[in-house]
Amino acid sequence: MAASVAKSRGLAGLLVQAALVVIVLALPLALDPYGYPLFVATQLGVYVIAAIGLNLLAGYAGQVSLGHGAFIAIGAYATALLTVDQGWSFWLAALAGVALSALMGVLMALPSFRLSTWYFAFITLAFAQVFEKMIVEWRGLTRGFAGVVGVQPPSVFGHVLEPAGVYWLVAIIAIIGFWLVNNLVHSRFGRGFVAVRDAPAAAQAAGASPARLKLLAFVIAACFAGVAGAFFAVQKTVVTPDDFTAEFSIFFLLTVVLGGLGTRWGPVVGALVFFLVPELLTGLESWRMMVYGAALLALMLFAPHGLVGAARSLFDRLRPKQAGQTTQPAETVQPQGAHVERPAISGLALEVKDLRKSFGGVVALGGVDLSVAPGTCAAIVGPNGSGKTTLLNVVGAYYRRDAGAVLLGGRETKGLSPQQIAGEGLGRTFQTPRLLGELTVLDNVLLGAFRRERASLPGTMLRLPGAMAEAERLRAEAMELLAFVGVADRADDLASETPHGHQRLVEIARALMGGARLIMLDEPAAGLSMTELDRLEQLIRRILALGATVVIVEHHLDLVASIASHVTVLDRGVVLASGAPQAVFADAAVMAAYMGERALNEQASDQLSDEAAGEVARPRPVPAKGA
Amino acid sequence: MDIDILARGLVAGSLYALVAVSFNILYRPTNVFNFAQGELVMLGAMVFASLATVLGWPWYAALIVTLLGVGLLTLLIDVVAVAPVLARSQHGTGWVITTLAASLIIANGVNRIWGPDPIVVRPPAPLTTDTFSLAGMTVSAYQIFLVLLTIILVLAIEQVYRTRQGKAVLAVAEDREAALLRGVNPLRLSHWSFFLGGAFAGLTGVLAAPVLYASTGLGPALLLKGFAAAAVGSIGNNRGALIAGYLIGVTEALGAALLSPGYQEAVVFLLVLCVLLVWPHGLFGRPFARTV
Repeated sequence: MAASVAKSRGLAGLLVQAALVVIVLALPLALDPYGYPLFVATQLGVYVIAAIGLNLLAGYAGQVSLGHGAFIAIGAYATALLTVDQGWSFWLAALAGVALSALMGVLMALPSFRLSTWYFAFITLAFAQVFEKMIVEWRGLTRGFAGVVGVQPPSVFGHVLEPAGVYWLVAIIAIIGFWLVNNLVHSRFGRGFVAVRDAPAAAQAAGASPARLKLLAFVIAACFAGVAGAFFAVQKTVVTPDDFTAEFSIFFLLTVVLGGLGTRWGPVVGALVFFLVPELLTGLESWRMMVYGAALLALMLFAPHGLVGAARSLFDRLRPKQAGQTTQPAETVQPQGAHVERPAISGLALEVKDLRKSFGGVVALGGVDLSVAPGTCAAIVGPNGSGKTTLLNVVGAYYRRDAGAVLLGGRETKGLSPQQIAGEGLGRTFQTPRLLGELTVLDNVLLGAFRRERASLPGTMLRLPGAMAEAERLRAEAMELLAFVGVADRADDLASETPHGHQRLVEIARALMGGARLIMLDEPAAGLSMTELDRLEQLIRRILALGATVVIVEHHLDLVASIASHVTVLDRGVVLASGAPQAVFADAAVMAAYMGERALNEQASDQLSDEAAGEVARPRPVPAKGA
Repeated sequence: MDIDILARGLVAGSLYALVAVSFNILYRPTNVFNFAQGELVMLGAMVFASLATVLGWPWYAALIVTLLGVGLLTLLIDVVAVAPVLARSQHGTGWVITTLAASLIIANGVNRIWGPDPIVVRPPAPLTTDTFSLAGMTVSAYQIFLVLLTIILVLAIEQVYRTRQGKAVLAVAEDREAALLRGVNPLRLSHWSFFLGGAFAGLTGVLAAPVLYASTGLGPALLLKGFAAAAVGSIGNNRGALIAGYLIGVTEALGAALLSPGYQEAVVFLLVLCVLLVWPHGLFGRPFARTV
């Protein structure tokens, strides 16, 4: 029933899109072939092309470029100079412009993408400022303020295009660009972009390299800017430095923010609205930057997803809500998933030897040893601040170790990045679930398969059969895993609207989706109700039954005692005791030494400790520090 | 080659270091890198110039009003443009766009009030901008004062971070929630940081005015060179910013002398790119890794 509704809505959407394409392509028939409206319509198309690229970069991948105008300028100048001065054909010149734009993008992006997002914003801003100066400085090449004059329209099959022809060309490229980016956004790359934006650690856990994804987004955006620049030159026939001031870049930023960052139609809507507004603003010319600034500020504060986002939330509010769809508490959903058959997993052994890690003067790990046999469950317990999570982070290479050895399946992992280690079969969950709130539960699980998916970038963007078949296969597998962890009925819900207990299960499904052979669970029971706790325990047992290795950090000693075959007690970064759970927990001296009297009371009042644990696991601000 | 390049580089570098320090003051407890900082420096220069030169106020009165005014405006930026965005999402970078928006508004507003003509600002007596020859360099008393004052300011600020309040600032930078549990109010601290970071930007503008003249076009260049000094000197490290400021100032002066003044920005930009490529966290250490 729900599926058929979705299908009919999809069909309606398709019809609307087809109608839009027809209108866009039929427009010149209604306009004066040499008139101003057609000129403006062509310009709009050029801006939409650039905005689509910027939206991919700033909206989906979360990398704000403040100098996008410079990349358009590169495309425009390359096209103008190569056609006018060198007599190249438009197509070759445009290609060179796009390549140059992408190349400059790579050069600038390389240093900044290892760092926080705002470095990139600064670098692009600086680049635009420098480029503006250089256009004037290299006047021998660029002709300075006079600009390059007389750029000819492209020829197709020997015919020089009329304005209407240029319009059609631009419109078709904009439509294809829209389609390509839309395909990309709904692929593993798109999920990777959103992960880089919202939860870089989750991207790494899924085996995706944030730096590479950012670079990819930027190169694509720069290519779009280059294409837009080429047509900018053709459409204006003159290219001057005045076209590419700082204002030009701000204009594009405002276009995508206005339409809606990270929304499909945002760049189109933004450009469209922006083209209507300046006509109204001509009297306010000298106030323009003030208006831009105020608009950016107001939009970011009150409509962070722009006009498209505002329209969507209005639509959602007006639509009658299906009762209890999102408010249903986790426990009433029963499917246990025990019936779901999964292929066996060949568990990985973990061997940690004399692992050391200090933060400044604080010793977080002071020589920890840990040995986990394949297919077994090892638990790490200890008071807060004893180094449990640090241990997981060092094993996963989220922190660089100071000394010691970590062997995964017998292989030393030194020098590998978190995403490479994930690729070796190490999966993990986080103390605070790191789900992508704006994606569906199913998409979150699919993120896990990032490294497994083989389809190429062109295959994905063009929806080639091989890529589609693979995506379909993985989708089916993700559904199966959701059923396995028992939340299949939530597949299409937004992750942000899913109850906390389910989020933890989704994270486990994501780790399994990545082909994890060793799963590290960081306080999976924190904040769970008794029912949810039972389900978690059953799930871990079933994962163990498949053959995977499980390392669990947990305060819940009942859970630990029941599922772990080996317990390691950490205290202030050193191993206090380790062995079979019965032996370790029976050792009153150990208990008293590391938790004092409280430990004994805690076991008596699980419910209380549950809440305390939930309290500790509150989301913590994690500044995006070039992780 | 002209040894004056060194003098020019050190003077300009001092200003870039000051801008970088104003970034750092604001950044350390908030993890926000204020994109309006360049225009705030410009505003400081304009307000001071108007009060001291145009209205003829005594320099100390003009200075106090400038610092308070720019500081309060920066506080307003925090309240209006930054705090609401951070309240919505701690790790988002919406503040990049909102502080940029603030920057646009300030730049346009100031431009409308003052117009494009620069105002000449004379340093308070006995300092002058009259040049004389020192060890083969043409310098003025004010330039020497500026370089020395910058060093003193940087060292003094480093001392402040050693006090109880200063440590609280660092604690919040390290972990907002943990600081909260220990009785440090991060929101109040962040308001204070914006105020102080803004006031310091205003001070930078006042100090820059006799050298650069007060003009509405100062903002963008100072923003980027201040960022360059902060990034090359490792974000948050004030002594690093001082040394990086000199490095950038001298490099820029060299580029201008050897190539052409039009290459100033390009040379600085290349320097920053190369440094970040080899030392992503700047020349003077990396911050603690903070992940999950």
